[in-house]
Amino acid sequence: MTGKIIGVLVYLAVIFYLGYKAWLKTRESTDYMLAGRSMNPFVLAMSYGATFISTSAIVGFGGVSGMFGMSLLWLTFLTIFVGIFVAMVFFGKRTRRMGLALDSHTFPEFLGRRYGSKFIQQFSGVVIFVFIPVYAAAVLIGICRMLEVAFPAVSYGVWLILVTAVVAVYVITGGLKAVMYTDAFQGTIMAAMMLILIVTTYTLLGGVTEAHQALTDLAGLVPAGLAKGGMTGWTTGPDFESPIGLTVYTTIIYGVGIGVLAQPQLVIRYMTVPSDRELNRAVAIGGVFILLMTGVAFVAGALSNVVFHKEFGKVAIAVANNNFDSIIPLYIDKVMPGWFSGLFLVAMFAAAMSTMSSQYHVGGTSLSRDFLEQYVSVGNGGSSMKLNRLGVTVAIVATLVWAWLLPGGVIARATAFFFGLCAASFLPIYVLGLYWKGMTKTGAKVSMVGGFGASMFWLLFIHVKEAGFIGLCQAMFGKATLVADAAPGSWMWLMQWVDPNVVALPVSLVLAVGVSLATRRIEEKHLDLCWEGLR
Amino acid sequence: MMLGLGSVEIALAFWLSVAATALCVVYGIVNWNNKGNDKNGGGAS
Repeated sequence: MTGKIIGVLVYLAVIFYLGYKAWLKTRESTDYMLAGRSMNPFVLAMSYGATFISTSAIVGFGGVSGMFGMSLLWLTFLTIFVGIFVAMVFFGKRTRRMGLALDSHTFPEFLGRRYGSKFIQQFSGVVIFVFIPVYAAAVLIGICRMLEVAFPAVSYGVWLILVTAVVAVYVITGGLKAVMYTDAFQGTIMAAMMLILIVTTYTLLGGVTEAHQALTDLAGLVPAGLAKGGMTGWTTGPDFESPIGLTVYTTIIYGVGIGVLAQPQLVIRYMTVPSDRELNRAVAIGGVFILLMTGVAFVAGALSNVVFHKEFGKVAIAVANNNFDSIIPLYIDKVMPGWFSGLFLVAMFAAAMSTMSSQYHVGGTSLSRDFLEQYVSVGNGGSSMKLNRLGVTVAIVATLVWAWLLPGGVIARATAFFFGLCAASFLPIYVLGLYWKGMTKTGAKVSMVGGFGASMFWLLFIHVKEAGFIGLCQAMFGKATLVADAAPGSWMWLMQWVDPNVVALPVSLVLAVGVSLATRRIEEKHLDLCWEGLR
Repeated sequence: MMLGLGSVEIALAFWLSVAATALCVVYGIVNWNNKGNDKNGGGAS
């Protein structure tokens, strides 16, 4: 216990020192919103990665891997190839240059100025501000539940306030510089812990091939309920046409793997560096970092079955009493060396804080820069800074309120909800805005609103995980989803497990292209400005 | 090549994850000092 307390105190001391350094260097709104456009590649890569990977990505999805197996490695591949390589090389460079030409400070401002539309800026700003506190609340709930278990003397409610206060201090005062400096430190701790985790796991099981083979040999022990849902083993993929197959492939792999491209808190980071060089270097650092995060979590999560079976004669989900969120914490607690569990807790604290700080920042600047500043006249940089700090404070309070109100089971749902909404609303107009001069203002508006509407419809009335949880469909139509009474096993019935993005993203894309082809092009002069840095 | 994994699909996902990381590292090293050709450069705006 003393070790855990010392570890957390040393960690917090470093965080506050970095926050203080950032505060000293934050003097104008570009510092606060874009870290002065002067970040170095290591800070960029680690901040991008640590923001992307929250506690729920390691503990939650690692636990899912413990339950469903290594098919989640497809998500690892996508997070590295799409989330780092494609994102930085094909999105990051163009976003940085176009963002600079348009003097954009936030993702909604970037979209709004690209299409010359205040509506687009305000609509996207409001969507981000309204929904990101729910996503942030899910991260906050997750880490506070872990802290409550590690330090039972302090209650969950007190942890909610303490953790919020710690992150609030440095985000409100130091803006994006504080967020990114602390992210880099937090990311370094996370990388070290995950490296130790995978080396220890493979060593315990006699090597890479031996460990995988032992897991393959456990296929006969797949619990009956999971086998009925479509699972075939921990080193084989689930049947595609099954509830588990559709959940793994459409929500976890496709939804999250593609959804990463339109996350506002990640996109903003492309605009924080002075040249392409920093992005190029960040590709190398970020690729290794993400492999250490999702790759290790999903492999170690799946291999925990072998270790648990050897030690306790049960597979992971049975040891965890059918709560997959407990698989990774139990594995750390029961199998890893004692000294590691304290450090791993600090790493998870770091993972949660790095994600939350960015969520607070992007939510707050969306409210201030993209909404309030459209109505309130800000005379100079100082006023803009005050408004931004006010926005961040409101986002933090909103997150705390959501965390107080929402049940623990909301963690995975809130994450999927935000990823889904962002991808359907923003991805087509963002990609086409970067690459296609024929994209029109009307096309962008219709695509964004249409994608948002389609995604909301699917989340509220079709996708059983969210629709069942929210209960609107039940209240309106007396059934959990609109397709709940279709013949079991039919495609209509299986739609309940198909991710909203499988439907909403194509709808949004078709609307963007179709409407743009039929409406008036944006003026050449404006397009020349947008493309100024791309020639 | 299969590394003890039970299906080609999962082995492919495993190797593609490693290959994607290698691609990132090689790309980063090859372009380590490539600032690009934008005339705006950068720095604080």
